[in-house]
Amino acid sequence: MSEILLRAEDIYANYGDFQAVQGASFEIRKGEIISIIGTNGAGKSTLMKAIGGTLAPKSGKVFYKDTEITGMPTHKLVDLGMSQVPEGGRVFARMTVMDNLVMGSYTPRARKHKDNALERVYDLFPVLKEKANQVSGSLSGGQRQMVAIGRALMSEPELVCFDEISLGLAPTVIKDIYTKIRQINKEGMTIILVEQDVKRSLKTSDRSYVMLKGKVVLSGKSSELAEEDVKKAYFGL
Amino acid sequence: MDALLQSLIQGVLLGGLYALIGIGMSLIFGIVKLTNLAHGDFLILASYISYSVVAATGMNPFVSLIVVIPVMFAIGYIVQNTMLNRVISKGAEPPLLVTFGISIVIQNLLLYYYTADARNLRSPIATKSIIITDGIRIPYIYLIGFLVGIIVIVALGFYFRHTYQGKAIKAAADDREVAQLMGVNIKSIYGIAMGISMTTAAIAGVLVGMIYNFYPTSGSAYLVIAFAVVVIGGMGSTYGTLAAGILFGLAQVMGAHFFGASAQLLTGYVVLLIMLIFRPQGLFQR
Amino acid sequence: MKTGFLSDSKRLIKALIMVIVLVGLFVLPNVANQYTTMLVMLICMYIGLGQMWNLLAGYAGLVSLGQQLYIGIGGYALAVLSNYYNIPILIGLVVGGLVSVGLSVALSFLLLRMKGMYFAVATWITAEAFIVIFAGWTYMGSGNGLFIKAVRGMPTSTIYYYSLIVAILTIFIVVFLLRSKLGLGLIAIRDNDSAAETSGVTIFRTKLYCMMISSFLTSIIGGLFYMSQVWVQPYAAFAINWTIAGMFIVVIGGIGTVAGPILGAVIYVILNQYLSQFGGISMIILGVIAIVVILFAPKGIIGSLQNRFGFEILSARRDANKNFMGMQIQETSENTEQ
Repeated sequence: MSEILLRAEDIYANYGDFQAVQGASFEIRKGEIISIIGTNGAGKSTLMKAIGGTLAPKSGKVFYKDTEITGMPTHKLVDLGMSQVPEGGRVFARMTVMDNLVMGSYTPRARKHKDNALERVYDLFPVLKEKANQVSGSLSGGQRQMVAIGRALMSEPELVCFDEISLGLAPTVIKDIYTKIRQINKEGMTIILVEQDVKRSLKTSDRSYVMLKGKVVLSGKSSELAEEDVKKAYFGL
Repeated sequence: MDALLQSLIQGVLLGGLYALIGIGMSLIFGIVKLTNLAHGDFLILASYISYSVVAATGMNPFVSLIVVIPVMFAIGYIVQNTMLNRVISKGAEPPLLVTFGISIVIQNLLLYYYTADARNLRSPIATKSIIITDGIRIPYIYLIGFLVGIIVIVALGFYFRHTYQGKAIKAAADDREVAQLMGVNIKSIYGIAMGISMTTAAIAGVLVGMIYNFYPTSGSAYLVIAFAVVVIGGMGSTYGTLAAGILFGLAQVMGAHFFGASAQLLTGYVVLLIMLIFRPQGLFQR
Repeated sequence: MKTGFLSDSKRLIKALIMVIVLVGLFVLPNVANQYTTMLVMLICMYIGLGQMWNLLAGYAGLVSLGQQLYIGIGGYALAVLSNYYNIPILIGLVVGGLVSVGLSVALSFLLLRMKGMYFAVATWITAEAFIVIFAGWTYMGSGNGLFIKAVRGMPTSTIYYYSLIVAILTIFIVVFLLRSKLGLGLIAIRDNDSAAETSGVTIFRTKLYCMMISSFLTSIIGGLFYMSQVWVQPYAAFAINWTIAGMFIVVIGGIGTVAGPILGAVIYVILNQYLSQFGGISMIILGVIAIVVILFAPKGIIGSLQNRFGFEILSARRDANKNFMGMQIQETSENTEQ
């Protein structure tokens, strides 16, 4: 088995006054796709924030390749090789598509490879090349999501977290985007999917974690998990 | 007729300087979402620093900028990082009160060290003019102010479009959280934005000091100008600021032309109030 | 909620202290020297100034930088009415207040369309415009201002009693407002300007009333101040320093609390007197103190104490044991709300 890339141990985190994550652990190995499944308010987004540096966890530890990264600011994590696609295809609406992508290669490490990375993103999403000089605020929801994904890839990451990627998108668009995610993974990228969509998550990922009320209640190989069991765990039945 | 033309020219030229006075405040409003009530006082602080440098070394006020700009940049960076970053997420009032507190401290520090006497940064160029006709003459110093204002604004436009740092500042203005995900250190980038704002204040402060007398309390007058320019141009818009500066300069000079010199200030206030009441989003924004 | 013997006796002690303080304040001019009387008089004026700024900024969400407008109007009204029309001082005070109310209503229709810093700057600019107008108005004595002949030789104790009454009045009015129906509108404003259950009309009306009350009493304080100064002059009367003082008092004491401005005013006046011996640095120190308090204790002294010990010295909440200043208060018109 390949090495463990990221390991989260017994994370507790509050979202405002609300204890959103209450002792969640998971790990991901190099080259894997894992999914973190849960309903709205199950604590998965807060867990991602606590790992991604935008929210300091109350307790617990996070390791990236055996380096402790707990509470490290986001900009340092990006430099280490972690990248995130924020929920809802959040783009810099007043900037062009190209500038959005360029912002993805902000870290000094990524700047050197900017032109290469840009080529790769354009290969992956040809439509972004066509719209390179358009203001991103004028794009459709699916295209925005592509910008957000492309932008996350620009930092030459080893690990990418996709937060609720299918939220608010049409089924055909979601299907396209998931195809691209598998393609990205085949090229060697390690991926965390944070999803509400049980079926699609299981189909795409190697392993899955199901969250309920801030805790991981079920985990295992996605191919071995029965959809029924996952749904039960998901709703806490 | 000549007098009117002279006023028009003066208004336009003054407008370039006004845009320079307002651009820093506009940037901070657009990026950090902060109204810096001490902007005018920082500008006058720069005038006084230049005054001291000139007094100590005898250099031309323009040359003193090589000292004044780094000092003002550092002040901006430090003030943002030690004070303003702590309060920007705490609602509207605390940041307003902190910048207001800073304004009081700067004014009184200046009063303490430099007394209430009028100062200026006059250099030989201040009295020379380009004579076009008998009635129309363009003072060099106004022309310089206008050109420098335009150069600074164009340079800023270039910086925001073509550098990583400039783009990062724009991205942070658009979506602070996502900019962080890109690896932008938001606190530091806000500090840099304030440093840039203070750089423009430094240049404006030196120019203003070369044209007018200044006192420790002069900052308020420049805050009004900065604010008017920001409101007319629309918050955070670089070229809108330039157009707004020229419009406001023209409005003031025309006020003085038709209603007498004492009306210049009042015209400015009235124009600003009308804008605030009827078009707070600025003339150039939909 | 604690009830019964303990809180009853606490209430009694509170009431007793309150009575002693009030009696002490009323006999003060007879027992204390001129300087002390003047100091307490200033504290009273600044309590009023602070309470009125707090009503706007701390409760109605209107950070005004233009309270000096009403200070100036109060001073000038007194001067004009007594100098030119021989109208008695007290009537002059009230008329000045009414003029200010009229002005604040007219301005409210323009200014209340704005929010946050737009409102702040617009109020400030309006006051600045009044400096220019009054400094160029011959009837108002232009830049030299007016000498208020009628108040010459008026004993400090007289102005002291007026100020004391006004200070007490401002405190009572704020507490009363917060417990009245208007208080509900204020809570809606504080929680969220666009709260669904509160209509825009209600919010506008609430803000308007606060502006009117604040301008009336601030104007009277202005009049009182210029009774003690005898000379009203545009650059000082309409100076932003008035708002700076009010803001300092409220921020130090605790924004959005009733007791805050009282404590803040005591600190401000005493600190000012003490620091004045150091000349120019007094304002620097005041400014630094204000900044430090906002950065590290944004709720001010009273607010921080309340947080730590969980009590309110002057409760303005309608449901807080239904007591006010240690006295039992009848809840009225509870059923008039929807």
